[in-house]
Formats: sequence, C-alpha cells, structure tokens
Amino acid sequence: MDIAVEVSEVTKIFGNFRALDGLSFEVKSGEVFGLIGPNGAGKTTALRIISTLLLPTYGTVKIFGLDVVKNAATIRKIISYLPEEAGAYRYLSGWEYLEFMAKFYTKDDEKVREMVNEAARISGLGERLKDKTGTYSKGMKRRLLVARALMNKPKLAILDEPTSGLDVIHSYHVREIIKKYVKDYGVTVILSSHNMLEVEHVCDKVALINKGKVIAEGTPRELEEKFESENLEEVFAKVVKLA
Amino acid sequence: MLKGFRNFLLKELKEFARDPKILLGIVIVPLVLFSVLGGLMSYAMQSAEESTIRSNFVVINNDCENWSYTFIKFLSSSGSKVFVEENVELNDGKLIELLSKYNVTQALEIPKGFSANITAHAKNPNITASVKFYVHITTTNIFDATRYLPIDATISQFNRALAPDVLNIEKSTIIKGEIKHNVDPATVSGLMVSQSVFIPIAIIILLFYSIQLAATSVAIEKEEKTLETLLTLPIDRLTILFGKLVGSMIIAAIGAVTYIAGYAYFMQSLISKTTPNFVMDLVSLGLVPSFLGYVLLGASLFVTILSALALAVILSAFAGDVRSAQSLVGFIYPIIFLSTFALMYIDAGALPYALRLVLYAIPFSHPIIVSKAVIMGDYVTPTLSIFYVSFFTLALMYVASRLFATEKILTAKLKLKWFTKYGKTTGEP
Ligand SMILES: Nc1ncnc2c1ncn2[C@@H]1O[C@H](COP(=O)(O)OP(=O)(O)OP(=O)(O)O)[C@@H](O)[C@H]1O
Ligand SMILES: [Mg+2]
Repeated sequence: MDIAVEVSEVTKIFGNFRALDGLSFEVKSGEVFGLIGPNGAGKTTALRIISTLLLPTYGTVKIFGLDVVKNAATIRKIISYLPEEAGAYRYLSGWEYLEFMAKFYTKDDEKVREMVNEAARISGLGERLKDKTGTYSKGMKRRLLVARALMNKPKLAILDEPTSGLDVIHSYHVREIIKKYVKDYGVTVILSSHNMLEVEHVCDKVALINKGKVIAEGTPRELEEKFESENLEEVFAKVVKLA
Repeated sequence: MLKGFRNFLLKELKEFARDPKILLGIVIVPLVLFSVLGGLMSYAMQSAEESTIRSNFVVINNDCENWSYTFIKFLSSSGSKVFVEENVELNDGKLIELLSKYNVTQALEIPKGFSANITAHAKNPNITASVKFYVHITTTNIFDATRYLPIDATISQFNRALAPDVLNIEKSTIIKGEIKHNVDPATVSGLMVSQSVFIPIAIIILLFYSIQLAATSVAIEKEEKTLETLLTLPIDRLTILFGKLVGSMIIAAIGAVTYIAGYAYFMQSLISKTTPNFVMDLVSLGLVPSFLGYVLLGASLFVTILSALALAVILSAFAGDVRSAQSLVGFIYPIIFLSTFALMYIDAGALPYALRLVLYAIPFSHPIIVSKAVIMGDYVTPTLSIFYVSFFTLALMYVASRLFATEKILTAKLKLKWFTKYGKTTGEP
C-alpha cells in the first residue's frame, strides 16, 4: 500500500503562538484516518495545511508524493476538503450549488449531471434541493456540503468534523457513505471528530493530538489495549490527562 | 487560460441578481434620488425665473429713435438694471469688452431701423422689428442656465402692449470668446450644466457602486464561510479574483446605466422646457467630445474603475465580514468625492503645486481630467493619464493577486488596536 498523506515535523506558528509543534503522521492509501484531540489541539490547523489552505511554518506535507507548498494546484485536483464550519451560497439552490461545484471538476455535462445526482443521493435532501440554501437548517446545509465533498470521488477526502450538527440517522448515513466510498472507489479519508463512537466505527487508524503534537497513534483496538481501556473515550481521557 | 472563469462569474452574477439589497441599490435608490433631484431642479428653475427680473444687462442701442427709448424704458420697468450704450459697432471682442465693463453676462442689441420697422408694422404686418440677445456663458455662470428665459416673457409683454408679433428676438451665445449666432444660450448652458454635474455624479456613483459590490462579494465569502471551500477547489486563484472584479463591474455598469438614464430623463425635461430644437451640431460648437474623445474617456473610466475595484478587494481581504469590509472601503469614498469635485469646479492650474501633484496622483481624479481635456480637443493629457492609471491599477492588481495566492486571504485580519485605544483614551478624562 502506498502512502497517501505524509506529515513530517510540521510546525505552524500564528504570530507567536505554536498551533502545531512538530506534528508527524502517515496515512496509507485507502485508509480512513481519524484525528482526535481536545479543543484547540490543532486538528483543524493540520487539516487546513493538508488541504493547501495554510502553509506550514516548518516541516513538509506530501499528498501522494506531491508537496502541499510546491504542488498546491495539482493537489487541489485530487482532494476535496470539508471545512469544520462552512456555508453554501445562500442565493443559490442546492442543485445550483452542486452544479457550480461539479463544473470545476469536469467540462462534460453528462459527468456533471452524474456527480450532481450522486450528491443528491448522498445528501438525502430530495425536493428541498430546489430551495435556496439560505432556507436550509444547519444539518441540511451540512449534508449538502458532505455530499459536495464526496461527489467527485476524490483520491483524498479531508473532512473536518463531517457529522457535526447532524442528527443520529444522518450521522449514521454519512458514516456508511464514507465507508462505501472507501471500499467502492478507493477514496482515502482523513477526518477529525469529537465523536469517539464514530471514530471507532469508521477509522482504520487514529492519531490523538494535543498541543500540536501526536501523543498516541494506532488502530482503535491497539490504543484500547495499550492504555487498558474499554473504549476510545477512556483512552482519550487517560492520555490527555497524562500529557 | 482561466479555467472555470465562466462558471464562477455566472455564480457571482446570480448572487448579485438575487440579492434584494442590490436590487434596492440599483432600482429603488435611483428612483428616489431622481425624484428628489427633479424636485430640487424645478425649485431651482422657479427661483431662477424669479431672479431674472432683477438680472442686469447692457443694451446697445444702434437705433436711437423713439421706439428704442420706449423699449428700453419698458425693459427697465420690468425690474432689471439696464446699462445703455449708444451707436456701437459690434464685433466679438467689442461685445465681450462691454459685458465685462458693466460686469454683466447678457446684452441686448437694438439694431438700426428698429423704430422704422415698428412704425411700418402698423401699415404692413409683414414687416417686423427684431432685437438681438446675447448671453456670455463661462464656466462660472453655467448654473444661471434658466436666468434669461424670461426675456421671452418681456418680449411677449411688449408685443401684447403694442401689437401681436411686432417684435422678434434673435438669441446668440458667446462662448470661448466667440459669438455663436442663433445658438440658444439655454441649450448650451443646459448642456454645460449636464456636463459639469452629470459627469462627476455619474463617475462617483459608478465608483461607489463598484467598490461596494467588490467589497461585499469578497467579504461575503468569508462571512458565509464559503471561501475555505472555494480555495481548495481546482480553480486558479486569479480566476476568483477576476471573477469578483468582472462581476462587480458588470453589475456596477448596469447600476450606472439606470442612474444615467434617470439623470438623462431629468436633464431632458429641463432642456425641453427651454428649447424645442435641441438637435444641433454640438460637436462643431466644441462642447461635446469627438469620437476619439469618447474612446479616451471610456478607457479612462475603465481603468479607473478597475483600480477602485482592486483597491476594494485588497481592503476587504482584511475584513472578516461584510460590515467591516464596507466600513473599510468607506475610507476611499471621501478621496473619490473630494478629488472629483475639486477638479470639476476648481481650476487645477490655480492650485499650489504640491496640492496639484496630490490630486493628479489620485487615480480617481483622472476621469475628470480626461473629460475636461477631450472637450478642449487635447488628446495628449488623456493618453498620459490613462497610462498612469493603468500602471497604478496593475500595481494594485498585483498586490491583490499576491493576497489571493497565499494564505493571507484567509488569515489576514486588520488590527484595529489603534482605533480601540484611541476610542478609550478619548472616553476618559
Ligand atoms: N488564524 C489563526 N490565527 C491565530 N491563531 C489561530 C488561527 N487558527 C487557529 N489558531 C489557534 O491554533 C490553535 C489550534 O486551533 P485548531 O482550530 O486547529 O484547533 P482544533 O483542534 O481544530 O480545535 P476544535 O476541536 O475546537 O475544533 C488554537 O489555539 C487556535 O486559537
Ligand atoms: Mg477544529
């Protein structure tokens, strides 16, 4: 299996604050990789660097061998990023939004239609896709954006708290979709989450980060064994307290 | 080429078109503005008509027979102050000399044979008498556009008292030191008013509009949290920048057209009140730019608007939301306003050298410089001006594209510490 994401010794400094402090981990191709950690640990910052939004102050990040600083434009063709907090254009309908996004990935009208239909299915929004996104509830908007992030079947999907704000049914649905995409299309996923149950269910591998550093890493099972815990939540509590 | 530009521009235009606030700005505001403006104008015209009675002129009496004295007495009784000169051979220079001697802008010539014609009219109604009316139009008195309208009223009163149609009036305009025979001064001054008010207003509105739109369209991507997604798409950052610039420019142009149409409607109603035959060769009068002049004016406006847009994009890149973006670009408005009006009404040549340089350095004053120059038939100044503003714009666009190319577009936040500190210290004793 080849390496999808290689983060090595990444430090990110905002002003005089170290948001990331020598962060390193690897994500294998076809894997679902989970980033967990307390608020302000640096999860979002790490995902933003991986998705070419922010530049690392020190260190390097490679996506399928491409450098996020030097090959940003090429990387943007093969990734998709779902921000932690994101909106849609309020004066566009759900359909129009998806179509707008799809057209950046292909010029073929047929393929655009395929992508949009795929996204419509993922979002489960049905008839509401005809309405302006400004009228959607928070969860509905989130579903639209999750669908947007997956519809182009990226080589790497970077999902920052994909199920935040979703009800139980839709969280479950999104998790199933993520798994299906990994299995059927070989998509690699890196996600962050505060829902340990979700991480246990979906992620093949987990990195627990705190204060911009990885403090524990492994499969959920390995971590539970190593820290003699019942579940990931307990692992989290123990490890963060230790640190 | 810029991949995805069409797609992005279309989205920009859709957003603008569906935003009720923009509809308000483009349709409702011009309507309100122009009804107010229309009201003000008719008020101005009324007061102008009232003040006519007291307006002064010089009468050149080349007749010096009975009826001419009666006519002069009639003129004086209507309340105007009348200065009389007798038997003057008139030419362009002499007329202007007389006008400045009495410090007036209007002259009435009673030609030789005036009394004879009036007397003859009693026997043969085909014979009529005429007087010649001259108005000197300078850039300082263009607002007196309608002042001399009531000369018509005075003449018809005279006719009513004497005999119908016995006396005709021939109106001429003195402009740029030359007498333009049979050119109605009201038409000329109407045109000049429209040029001196309309051009700066149109430019200001166009600039304000584009700035507002560009600032909003950049800041709204941050406020609505759509920017982050946008920046990770396989789309050139320059596409985003140009999409914003072009989108704002298109909507601003539509806005400008509605404003201009509204304004032209009021100008038209003002002019049609004063003269029926507005269609005349204004180009030959030297009051309207030639084709080349229009091309230069258009080019100048284009680069100036582009510079304003680029500046707005740069400023709003530092704002986190629409409201702070709008207050940030608000700092540009006084500069536009002052530079535009200063150059429109003040002779730049009369300003101190340093002040003049400052005015010329501001790109927003250049459309006015160009519009003045092309009317005078000067095509060198506009060309230099367009080069200067283009250079300025390119520099701004470069800065804007640098901002868009890095993470700054996402993380840049202007520190308003100074303002907070200033606010606090003034709040305390
Ligand atoms: N643009 C920025 N400027 C300054 N500091 C920043 C910026 N972005 C993030 N930070 C800081 O970096 C640290 C890490 O933030 P980050 O958003 O990565 O945390 P997180 O792990 O995603 O937290 P959460 O679980 O709350 O989403 C925080 O202390 C945050 O204040
Ligand atoms: Mg986060």
